[in-house]
Amino acid sequence: MSASVLSAPPADAPRAPLTRKLLTADHPTWCPGCGDFAVLASFYRVLEKLNYPQENIVIFAGIGCSSRFPYFVNAHGGHFIHGRSLPLAAGVSLSRDDLHVFAFGGDGDGYSIGGNHLVHTARKNVRMTYIIMDNSVYGLTKKQTSPTSPLGFKTKTDPWGVYDHPINPMRTLINSGATFVARTHATQVNHMVEMMLRASQHDGFSVVEILSECVEFFEGAYNASVPRKGGSFQAIEEKKHDGTPEDAARHDPTDEGAAAHLALEPWPGRFGVYYENKTRATKNALEQDLIARTREKTKGASDLELLQKTFARMR
Amino acid sequence: MSAPVRPKPFLEPMYCKGCLRCIDACPRDCITPGTEINPATGLVPVRLHLENCNGCTLCIQACPEPYGLRLETEPPGFEGDFVLEDPAKLFGEKCVPIHSEGDLPDNHIALPACEAMVLKGNYAAAIGALLAGCRHFFGYPITPSTEGAELMAKILPRLNGSFVQAVSEVAAVNMMYGTGGAGLPCMTFTSSPGFSLMLEGISYMIGAEVPGVFVNIMRAGPGLGNIAPEQSDIKLACRGLGHGNTRAIVLAPSTPQEMLDLTREAFALAFRYRNPVVILGDGFLGQMTGKVRLPATMIRPGLPAWAVWGDRAHRHNLINSIALAETDLEAHNHHLNRKYAAISACEQRVDCYRCADAEVLVIACNTPARMAKGAVEAARAQGVKAGLFRPITLWPFPIDTLAEILPGVHRIVVVEAGPGQLEDELRLALSHAGIAPPPIDYVRRCGGFLPPQAEILAGILAPEEVPA
Ligand SMILES: Cc1ncc(C[n+]2csc(CCOP(=O)(O)OP(=O)(O)O)c2C)c(N)n1
Ligand code: SF4
Ligand code: SF4
Ligand code: SF4
Ligand SMILES: [Mg+2]
Repeated sequence: MSASVLSAPPADAPRAPLTRKLLTADHPTWCPGCGDFAVLASFYRVLEKLNYPQENIVIFAGIGCSSRFPYFVNAHGGHFIHGRSLPLAAGVSLSRDDLHVFAFGGDGDGYSIGGNHLVHTARKNVRMTYIIMDNSVYGLTKKQTSPTSPLGFKTKTDPWGVYDHPINPMRTLINSGATFVARTHATQVNHMVEMMLRASQHDGFSVVEILSECVEFFEGAYNASVPRKGGSFQAIEEKKHDGTPEDAARHDPTDEGAAAHLALEPWPGRFGVYYENKTRATKNALEQDLIARTREKTKGASDLELLQKTFARMR
Repeated sequence: MSAPVRPKPFLEPMYCKGCLRCIDACPRDCITPGTEINPATGLVPVRLHLENCNGCTLCIQACPEPYGLRLETEPPGFEGDFVLEDPAKLFGEKCVPIHSEGDLPDNHIALPACEAMVLKGNYAAAIGALLAGCRHFFGYPITPSTEGAELMAKILPRLNGSFVQAVSEVAAVNMMYGTGGAGLPCMTFTSSPGFSLMLEGISYMIGAEVPGVFVNIMRAGPGLGNIAPEQSDIKLACRGLGHGNTRAIVLAPSTPQEMLDLTREAFALAFRYRNPVVILGDGFLGQMTGKVRLPATMIRPGLPAWAVWGDRAHRHNLINSIALAETDLEAHNHHLNRKYAAISACEQRVDCYRCADAEVLVIACNTPARMAKGAVEAARAQGVKAGLFRPITLWPFPIDTLAEILPGVHRIVVVEAGPGQLEDELRLALSHAGIAPPPIDYVRRCGGFLPPQAEILAGILAPEEVPA
């Protein structure tokens, strides 16, 4: 249900555009060099570009280093139960469709304890943007295995090296029914801004996976995609539909099969938009539609009249 | 042309669940929805009108109930006179009574005497579990308990054991049900928010009488709270282990040595009573180092006769918590109540310090008990007859010993790093025992603070100045 009735703010006088200064809240407590700083800086830029009314921005997170995000952005939001930020965000998105809802979190928060919620929030296509800061480790609790920890990585809960197969986040997200799925890297600020911006503008459940290095507990995890460290950053070239022969080789993000296929590329894989579905309606919209259809028949009767009619039938 | 004469269907109203599938199947509209509730089943069986029936048997094929519809010519199925499927046919030879040796007994192996070690409370508890023969660990990292899990991760593979970092505490507790049901000692380390998530599984374990040891290194709540120590889950462990009629022995160590000893002991209790056992430590105790001596023996566990052994002899060992018939479930609850009564009678434990002549009785457990002991000594030095009553089992509360001490006591001071849950346990125990206590005051801190000795001393000396 939409509660815009409740919110209806007075038509505002023109206001100053959003700036990093306005958006900054607490000073981040992350370790010096943590990839999450770059994500935060890029997110400020995204918000500056979106220029939403500041009080309509809502940011939730679970628990983890990355999940401290809401403290650092001057907006509404909250730090919640480990793994449960998505149901909380979905509750807000569905009850206040007029707000811009973001969720932030880590790989453990999102794929381990919150994995079930991730699958179903994606499937239902609840309108929100979810940013996963993947460092392939549990940072806050000091180096335990995460669902994206690579085989052989030594952690405190796998002191002999990880031997459980890691998940493939892109495959998981595409399979679950997320309607916008992108992957980026905390060392590629412009790319990161572009991905987050497109995700925020997507009408549906949009996810951006950001490889964000934990310098404290998994240094060098993503060097394979950092040119400065001898790796290479392979961006996805999207189809331009320009009829040129090169275009045939480009990726069509509307093609779910192609997206799933792309997700199988060996480590470190590609960066960019894997999948984008602009046609599937959001749960928010479908619910509004259901409400409209059922209310059409009530001919403007009041809640009291409708309830009394129902009670009469139950007697 | 007349329809060929074939046998017609016959309805056993007892077995019809009124799903109406047969109605769709019948090409001749011989079946209609029923209108009367069958008093024996509470369901509404369909009605057959067989004038047009040609005996095509489509309805019988459509019926999902093995005995709902059958042909008139089939021998009648007498109520209660059939077996669903003899397991002998499915798995081979029918199960036979147990080979009657009963339990495979534990082996006690002598430990060579060695120097005391200096250990963190969490490590001490892990070592206690290893010495009790625990080789299966399931958990999810959470501060301030994780070191215990990490030590298990390191050691268990070498001991032919299994360590699993589950996807969440919900997964971990259910893995414990699996291992416990197989009759093997297993454990977890967790902290308050994780313990909350395990409660559902604990209720099932208690219902199915599955042993398992939960070490909960409590931190401050409610909700997200913080990671500092608090005695925040006494209520959950003593009163709120998931839904239903649930109880478990709750042990409250106050030193690293007790973390080891009580964890080791917890396994024995869990198997003696076929029930989970909860160890409540506070975050301070988990992180605190102290001198720890090893016991004289370690245990190589046997296998109890009731467990799922996975062999023919134990085919009738069923581990579940379901009892659909009211009489069965009531009887099971009576059985559990008898077990709880036996635990209450036999397992109360307490440490009394200068209680014999105490006029002011301080009651505290875990780390606050250490501060309280200092305060008791300080009060004695000032000539006040103070004593420390330190429950080691929070459930069952050691009310029998308390009842012996109370006649000389003028006042009780409950000391807690928490919101008053120990005091609630005390008051409940007194009330159930029908004992009218002397005035009860308290010294409490919460949010991550421990009550300092000076505050406790003030609470012992001047009742009117107890901080709110
Ligand atoms: C129910 C519950 N279980 C466990 C924890 C402990 N815990 C806090 S954060 C965390 C994992 C953090 O990993 P991740 O989500 O990858 O975030 P990062 O710190 O790496 O950014 C865990 C296990 C908790 N807070 N709540
Ligand atoms: S522990 Fe790792 S993830 Fe956490 S702040 Fe430090 S570098 Fe970042
Ligand atoms: S046997 Fe065939 S015709 Fe007769 S009731 Fe069943 S479905 Fe109908
Ligand atoms: S199909 Fe069987 S159970 Fe279902 S209504 Fe018909 S007779 Fe009853
Ligand atoms: Mg992480």
